[in-house]
Amino acid sequence: MIIVRRVKPLPYWVVPVLALIIGILVAIIILYGISGGQIPPSDVLVSIGQGFLQPHLLAMTFILLSIVGVGLLVSFKGAIWNIGGEGQIYMGAMVTVWVVLFSPIAMMPGLLGAFTMKITYLILAMILGGFWAFLSAIPRAYLNLDEVPITLMMNYIAYYIVDILVRGPWHERKYGYLRTPTIPENSWFRTMVIRTKGQIIATTLSMELLIIMIVIFFVAWFLLRYTTIGLYIKVLGNNPNLLKSSGINVKLIILLALTISGAIIGIVGAGYVAGITHNLSYPVEEKSAQYGYTGILVAWLSMLELIAIPVAAYIIAALYNAGINMQILGAGGAAVVNVFIGSILITYTALIMISEYKVKFVIKRRRG
Amino acid sequence: MAAEAKIDQKVFSPPLQPIISLRGITKRFPGVIALDHINMDIYPGTIHALLGENGAGKSTLVKILYGIYTPDEGEILINNEPVTFTSPMDAMMHGIVMVSQSPQVIDRLTIAENLILSLKRYGYFATLGRIAREIRAIAKEFNVKLDPNIEVWKLSYTQKQIVEFIRAMLLGAKVILIDEALTYLPIEEKKRFYEFIKNFKERGGTVILITHKIYEALDIADMITVLRRGKNVGTLTRQEADIDKVRRLMFGERSKEITYERLPPGNPNGDLLEIKDLWVRGDFGEYAVQGVSLKVRRGEVFAIAGVAGNGQKELIQAVVRIRPYDRGKIVLEGVDLKDKSTYYLRVNGVGYIPDLPARYGVSIENTIVENIAVLPTYARGLIDWEKIRNLALKLIKEFEIKTPSPDTPVKFLSGGNIMKVLVARELNTATKLLVAYNPTRALDEATAIKVRKIIKDKVRSQGIGALIASEDLDEIFQIADRIAVMNSGRIVGVFDAEKAKREEVEKLMVM
Repeated sequence: MIIVRRVKPLPYWVVPVLALIIGILVAIIILYGISGGQIPPSDVLVSIGQGFLQPHLLAMTFILLSIVGVGLLVSFKGAIWNIGGEGQIYMGAMVTVWVVLFSPIAMMPGLLGAFTMKITYLILAMILGGFWAFLSAIPRAYLNLDEVPITLMMNYIAYYIVDILVRGPWHERKYGYLRTPTIPENSWFRTMVIRTKGQIIATTLSMELLIIMIVIFFVAWFLLRYTTIGLYIKVLGNNPNLLKSSGINVKLIILLALTISGAIIGIVGAGYVAGITHNLSYPVEEKSAQYGYTGILVAWLSMLELIAIPVAAYIIAALYNAGINMQILGAGGAAVVNVFIGSILITYTALIMISEYKVKFVIKRRRG
Repeated sequence: MAAEAKIDQKVFSPPLQPIISLRGITKRFPGVIALDHINMDIYPGTIHALLGENGAGKSTLVKILYGIYTPDEGEILINNEPVTFTSPMDAMMHGIVMVSQSPQVIDRLTIAENLILSLKRYGYFATLGRIAREIRAIAKEFNVKLDPNIEVWKLSYTQKQIVEFIRAMLLGAKVILIDEALTYLPIEEKKRFYEFIKNFKERGGTVILITHKIYEALDIADMITVLRRGKNVGTLTRQEADIDKVRRLMFGERSKEITYERLPPGNPNGDLLEIKDLWVRGDFGEYAVQGVSLKVRRGEVFAIAGVAGNGQKELIQAVVRIRPYDRGKIVLEGVDLKDKSTYYLRVNGVGYIPDLPARYGVSIENTIVENIAVLPTYARGLIDWEKIRNLALKLIKEFEIKTPSPDTPVKFLSGGNIMKVLVARELNTATKLLVAYNPTRALDEATAIKVRKIIKDKVRSQGIGALIASEDLDEIFQIADRIAVMNSGRIVGVFDAEKAKREEVEKLMVM
């Protein structure tokens, strides 16, 4: 067996597809092993199959993961590794709860219509998410400190800020839970209910969030395709020296890449509170759906191709869904999802080598 | 280099058995055939030069010999035995070692530490003392001074190259591949290297020297093979070879365009750039530029001659404002540049050709079109891709850049063609001033001369000014209207190019 450097890179979808297939196989083996044969591979495969075929159930996860994926992609294109999605999400979620429950606007019900209210908290979620990322971008741009640990630790700061608010000033006093009051229904992102022939199907699809996702896709596509900022971000990821000799302010581009990324991800925080949980409960670091981290997997599986982000997000959302199906079957708890995602991510990391290198089997023969 | 190359008086006759034979080696890249059925024999104890214009396939062939690429067709024989190289490790096991353009060393470590890292055969228990002794022994054998315990960052480029050679010797190399590694050396140091190589040859070693500089090949090679468009168009012994013959093989019809005559003078007209008592620090905090003053006029080429490392790089970088300066003034058209950024210069018609294009001048992962759009001169805010694509097509045609399309990532281009992309873009940007450092070093003779002509034409017809630092005196004498000599951070003499004498300039350079 020999390993050779590839002259022509593989089509970008080969590695993610292989990673998915092998990763799922690995997950099946792990689940079979740790359950002592209690979870047969057929159950897992059926759950996964079902998971993929229930778009109405995975819609919410799909939309939110897609948005996180796009946000991360913007900074990843510039080789700025934003691991701070969680923090940016919680900053967006925090400001959303503030706007609808505790802000001066909230004190005067009826001042803003439902639509204006939503626009307000979406914009503020963008600003807060962007600001949170901007804070991590400053040491990266001006002191050249690695952004990975900084963005990561900023997640915990965000968690604890929200924890303080939830336990303190924002604590609802009615019931005994450590959580904020539920936000009023007119500020929710409502999910669709389909009625056909007397059948009622509940979905997790919110048209409003779907539209927001499409708008974000379009904006990100336009940014990366037609603006100089997009081009500079891409060049930043390849050769920052070229930016310097072209007269582009490299520090500014670093700040922009992270801030834009954080602003997009901040929107997910608003969507998460207004679309799923409707409140924030303590301790958030345990209650979090961790879209900020799962989004990294989405961005990687897309091989940083914008068009592949929804595909990757759909797959991961389907696996989430499969995990829930398995719980319904009684095969394992919530951690099943983590087994899937962990196996795929680790397989992906191992396989990424083959996009650069080729493994060949050669029989050495002598010339006769 | 107008001087005729020295001819080796020893009559050379190749031994019968080649050490390396290439049979029908073919390599295709997306859109191009880099190598087209190459046959070649390399004999032990010879220096074999591999010549060719930019993009002829030299580097690809070397990478195949070193196991970085595998050929699509054909085979490599070593001592008549077919071999398959799949990694440089395989090549090294057969005694083939490469010395590349960019030394593969870790700056923070000492020479001995670097070498102990890369030499597996010392195992895990080798002591630094032992390896230092071996380094000293080899250094002594080859008559160079080198302290094995000095950190690599303190070494000059040449010294790093010597470290690479010593590594090859420690690895027990039988064949050394030198991929353009001498191109970047100042003449004096190059001569020292020639001694080194000859010394190695006399001990029975074989050298394959890849270069686009014909004189380098004529200076030292026993055999010369010329590649053109991926084909072997001829192998000559040193006795058969002369400059015209080699040029014809290399460039075909284009060889007629090669001349080192002085290009027609510019028409100087008013001051454009003025530098007054400039002090600039180098990478290690020392003053690399010490009180330089000069004036570049519109319609002239002001050239700075000097041996590498005498402050030219720092001066050029300070002028384009990517390196800060401590004292002094740079004034462009009456505007003090102290508070101006590179951006200001770029949008005001200043072109900049840096040294080491792949490092500072282009982004190899991006396409040619993107590499043009990145200059604020061509796009601000929104990018009009259609416009930039058309410009790219124009430049590709004008500079004969070999690429399948303007949307090809630059990394798929050969080194010379990458340089052409950079030069084409910057010449097009320079509507006022062109600032350059070794603008043609990576280019073959015919292309280099063409680029000089384009620069001079532009200076004459559009009245732009050019400040060009170069280590190549042929270039300086061909293109300059005025010549300044830089030595140890100072300008030690300024000549009118028409009256300047080469010997005088050379004397000031090494004084």
